[in-house]
Amino acid sequence: MGPSASPAGHFVVLYFAAAASYTGKTSEHLASPMAAGELFGRLEQLYPGIRARVLESCAVTVNLQYINLDGDDAEGARVLLKEGDEVAIIPPVSSG
Amino acid sequence: MSVIDSLRQQIAACEAQLATLRQQLAEAEHLQLQSRRQAQEEVQPATFDPLTHDMSYGIHDDFRSEVFAALSHGDGSEQPPRSRWPLDKMEYKRYGRQLIMPEVGLQGQLRLKKTSVLIVGVGGLGCPSAAYLVGAGVGTVGLVDGDTVEESNLHRQILHSTARVGMTKVESAMVALNSLNPNVKLVPHAARLTPDTALSIFKDYDIVLDCTDSPASRYLISDTCVLLGKPLVSASALRTDGQLMVLNNPPLPPGDAAGGPCYRCVFPKPPPPESVVSCGDGGILGPVVGTMGVLQALEAIKVITRGVHSSVRGPAEAPSLLIFSAYATQMFRTIRLRTRKPKCAACSAQATVTPEALNSGSLDYVQFCGTINPVDALSPNERISVENYAKLRTGRNPITGTEVSADSHVLVDVREKVQFDLCSLEGSVNIPFSAVSRLRVGDDAVKIPATEEEERWIAELKARGDKPLFVVCRLGNDSQMTVKKLKAMGLDNGGQRWIGDIKGGLRAWREKVDHEFPDY
Repeated sequence: MGPSASPAGHFVVLYFAAAASYTGKTSEHLASPMAAGELFGRLEQLYPGIRARVLESCAVTVNLQYINLDGDDAEGARVLLKEGDEVAIIPPVSSG
Repeated sequence: MSVIDSLRQQIAACEAQLATLRQQLAEAEHLQLQSRRQAQEEVQPATFDPLTHDMSYGIHDDFRSEVFAALSHGDGSEQPPRSRWPLDKMEYKRYGRQLIMPEVGLQGQLRLKKTSVLIVGVGGLGCPSAAYLVGAGVGTVGLVDGDTVEESNLHRQILHSTARVGMTKVESAMVALNSLNPNVKLVPHAARLTPDTALSIFKDYDIVLDCTDSPASRYLISDTCVLLGKPLVSASALRTDGQLMVLNNPPLPPGDAAGGPCYRCVFPKPPPPESVVSCGDGGILGPVVGTMGVLQALEAIKVITRGVHSSVRGPAEAPSLLIFSAYATQMFRTIRLRTRKPKCAACSAQATVTPEALNSGSLDYVQFCGTINPVDALSPNERISVENYAKLRTGRNPITGTEVSADSHVLVDVREKVQFDLCSLEGSVNIPFSAVSRLRVGDDAVKIPATEEEERWIAELKARGDKPLFVVCRLGNDSQMTVKKLKAMGLDNGGQRWIGDIKGGLRAWREKVDHEFPDY
């Protein structure tokens, strides 16, 4: 996993499993602040197609805490991603 | 089935039977010996019991216990009758190393002994978890799997063996588990789990382990556990990554917010089917899936020894998702999960998953998770059979019959580099499918410019622009998508250059042309 320490004015996004395969990275820094509800849109700009193919089935965490982004009224969408936060995109792994 | 397969199966079956007979013989001999000893003890009169002598005065404690030890050594007549102790004599010995741990102790061992565990999937996760649970002395272990043992399973599915290739996984696992600990009752369920069998199989067990390999089975198992009030230990692994969760713990009825979250609370939407990669396609490292299976056994032991089916159950741990990344600097990460999702389809007050819906088949898990149609993206004149391609390679055009030179065409192999390095057709060029799919064409191309690497292979293909271009992959799906992409990029010179795929890929090549081509 890449460096977790973010440069000023940024938060870090960690990509796991299919999210890492799709982006070709395990982590990157994005400009803060950003509402969690805007995260998928921003990532879709960076990686066209990622929203439908990966993000919509993912669990999203902020500083190791699960946030709910499922549904229109998801309370997690209002969470503010601040400088130095660690966001993780966790696709379900189903093999075994 | 071939003669070899049939013989192999017969040998495996005989070996399994032999192992069981040996086990039974050993047990019978052991029991006979025990009962003889007991009989001897009973006829001998109690002659001298050092415990009745009062030696409390004037003798140092250590010395006293030494004396007692020396006195009791020898005839063994002071052995208490077996019923005096809550566990069998053999059990104290076998489980001694875990019994002396405060986390288990006598109460924990008794709880293990009276607990029945259902393991769904006897593969990379199920094998190690079953081994540890059977080793630990769980009372009953049920095994669900409809597959048979294959050679490509053996690097990670540690209960199976070379001799048992072709046997059902359930039977094979039972042979291994029985020799590990014959005191555990094993229950075979040698069929794939389906919605109409799930409730009737699960109801007899106290706790369930999800060791399966598809999104559909994960939702089915979770829903069934919620409906029946069983805690669920769910794990998965692919390539170098693993996930582990203890779900529905405590296993309270749907609608009770104090119950633990279920699989749907964490992952309400299944991944799109085309993004689901199996271990066969994506690969898996044995110790990665092994680690996850061992952790499942550990979590199950924790849940059981805390009292899974007692009303005085200890407090459940806060729900969490453990992420294992074998090649990252931080191998383990623990995510704190939320409580039950207020609108969860399975465990909330608004649940739509009901026993009736499950039994009637109205819950279609396969449909919910989606299916991939076989890729059929090209027209017949954009495709060539392996037989015809083989003729072309020998220097003859299969359609016109005319002579062609050996470098008459370009062959692009779109498997990932690591697979290409294992084996490839002579003269083929490797352009991994991941690189092909990353490349954007049309409007997207403006947003994502091609990298140097991409420019290099595009230039290479353009340089040989007068020659027909064949695309091959492992199974014949990625090759079709690549043909479409290459045409969209204009590499067919507006239709002047033939671009097409080799039907059925290298699997068809091995089956119909070159049997020596490696099967991995």
